[in-house]
Amino acid sequence: MTIVKLPSATAPSRPTARNRTRRGRADRKPRILIAVTGLFFALLYLPIAVVALFSFNSKKSLTVFGGFSLRWYRAFVHDDVLISSLGTSLRISLVAMAGSVVLGVALALGLVRCRTRLGSLAGLIMLVPLITPEIVTGVASMLLFKGLGVALSTGTVMLAEITFSISYVTVILRSRVAALNPEVEEAAMDLGATRWQAVRLVTLPALLPAVLASAVLIFALVFDDFVLAYFTTGVDPQPLSVRIYSAIRFGVQPTINAVGTLMLAGSIALIALALFIPRLFGRRGGLDILSGE
Amino acid sequence: MDATPAVRLDGVSKRFADSSAVHRLDLDIEAGHFFSLLGPSGCGKTTSLRMIGGFSDPSEGSVLLAGEDVTALPPNRRNVNTVFQSYALFDHLSVADNVAFGLKRQGVAKAEIRQRVGEMLDLVQLAGLADRRPRTLSGGQRQRVALARALVNRPAVLLLDEPLAALDLKLRRQMQVELKQIQREVGITFVFVTHDQDEALTMSDRIAVMNEGRIEQCGTPEDVYEHPATRFVASFMGTSNLMTGTYRAGEVALEQGPALPVGARTGIADGTAVSVSVRPEKIWLSDFEPGMSMLRGVIRETVYSGPTTTYLIELAPGVTLSVLEQNTARARMEDRWSGGETVEFGWRPEHCLVLA
Repeated sequence: MTIVKLPSATAPSRPTARNRTRRGRADRKPRILIAVTGLFFALLYLPIAVVALFSFNSKKSLTVFGGFSLRWYRAFVHDDVLISSLGTSLRISLVAMAGSVVLGVALALGLVRCRTRLGSLAGLIMLVPLITPEIVTGVASMLLFKGLGVALSTGTVMLAEITFSISYVTVILRSRVAALNPEVEEAAMDLGATRWQAVRLVTLPALLPAVLASAVLIFALVFDDFVLAYFTTGVDPQPLSVRIYSAIRFGVQPTINAVGTLMLAGSIALIALALFIPRLFGRRGGLDILSGE
Repeated sequence: MDATPAVRLDGVSKRFADSSAVHRLDLDIEAGHFFSLLGPSGCGKTTSLRMIGGFSDPSEGSVLLAGEDVTALPPNRRNVNTVFQSYALFDHLSVADNVAFGLKRQGVAKAEIRQRVGEMLDLVQLAGLADRRPRTLSGGQRQRVALARALVNRPAVLLLDEPLAALDLKLRRQMQVELKQIQREVGITFVFVTHDQDEALTMSDRIAVMNEGRIEQCGTPEDVYEHPATRFVASFMGTSNLMTGTYRAGEVALEQGPALPVGARTGIADGTAVSVSVRPEKIWLSDFEPGMSMLRGVIRETVYSGPTTTYLIELAPGVTLSVLEQNTARARMEDRWSGGETVEFGWRPEHCLVLA
């Protein structure tokens, strides 16, 4: 049996010569814009790339690259002060994540469902932390704790970070809550669930992708945070970001390059996870802030 | 007949901040009936259903289920289940888990849950889809899941809030028949909210026609169609050819045009202003019988729609009647009337409805 090819039916239509020139003119990319974009990314990422590169330096120099080595990573692992700071930062991030997610989800549910004037006022006030300069929040938190006679410690950092992070969770969750079909919760109650069971069994699972994504985002934000931590931490133990800042004042150690590179890698991994989570659930969106949807 | 109605609304009103949605409703729904609340949007039918289900508190009056006052009980403590207009399925659960939701809340044993969910999925013909997520199903399938999820709890009353509104016409017709069959099979009282008069007529044992928060008429489909109690019911239930005039000795004189012979009516005094209504299918264009009221008019429009043809006949200036004829008498195109022809038509006086 012979197979007859039908070229006209399957072959992709090629652009004619005339078409090509016309398209070419419209598609021609302005070189100046490409150059500006390249310069922008270079200025943004070159310093970071240098830090990452020199974290693998075999020499102590910060200007001459002597060859590849894991020397500074080894130094970091054996530096008890830095390691304990890392532990402190992880603890702070986990507590701030849990606290702000619980409160932020509850606030989002409340703000969407409470249709009073007081409710919409609360919705506006909730946005203020997002636009307040962090140094103002930091100083204000410190003054508050001092005024109340609370000694600065890891606990005060956690409280400040939770307060600061609630807004992010609520902003992410609020649109999701508003998009929920109110009949679904009613259906759960119709089928014998109490109001609380309906929220737990139906509403929260529906919000889960957005909740997880915001949790990861908060963890990354708090772990990297310096300003708020600097103003609200006690002397010992200090969060990693504050510890690095203090270390730099006595001269830059290449160990810091290693720490910075690790933090960078961790943050990128977390943000990627936050963007990826909604897709795990087969849904779009979840992090409206990051994806701009 | 069971003396206690499955549902009783006793002087139930619902007022919202700016309007009154339901006004002093008294309603008995007999156990085992397929009962429809029919009316245009905003007539209070959904609000009434939500008050039976417990999602909306009456401003006054009481709701009784099987004789028991449940006005103060939340939805989860009423022996009724609802099929929502949006279906309101739980997207994070499989079809089987959606159906099992109510039974789990009741603490039914696992083996029994599995058995009852299986039976119910068979009943709604979804047996093969138990492990699918609702999101992956078609509209008709989602509708069945919602039905199964409610019915599996064996409620005393099933409330359905325009469950077929989102389906296309063909599927809707098919689901109408199926719903009715399922209702007969399970014997549960169905309270069905719809704005579609065809749907209500086809499916219901009884229909309550609602308008502006009140029940205009409550009766069998035949009652409300053939003997509408009010102008609103007459015009809402299909095309009704409403005309106004003055009654005098077996005739109704239109403001312009001829007097319509309607037969003698007891209970209507001479000189009363009345509305007259004749259904389009009850006006004859040929094969007249003795005793018919005969009139003449001009064909203004011919609308062919397969099995039937609708003629718009101008009886007098401003008075146009819609007349429906089976396409048997004039099966061929050239036999049918066309615009501008003067025709004779008639109706039996008893088919002519006179509303004071």
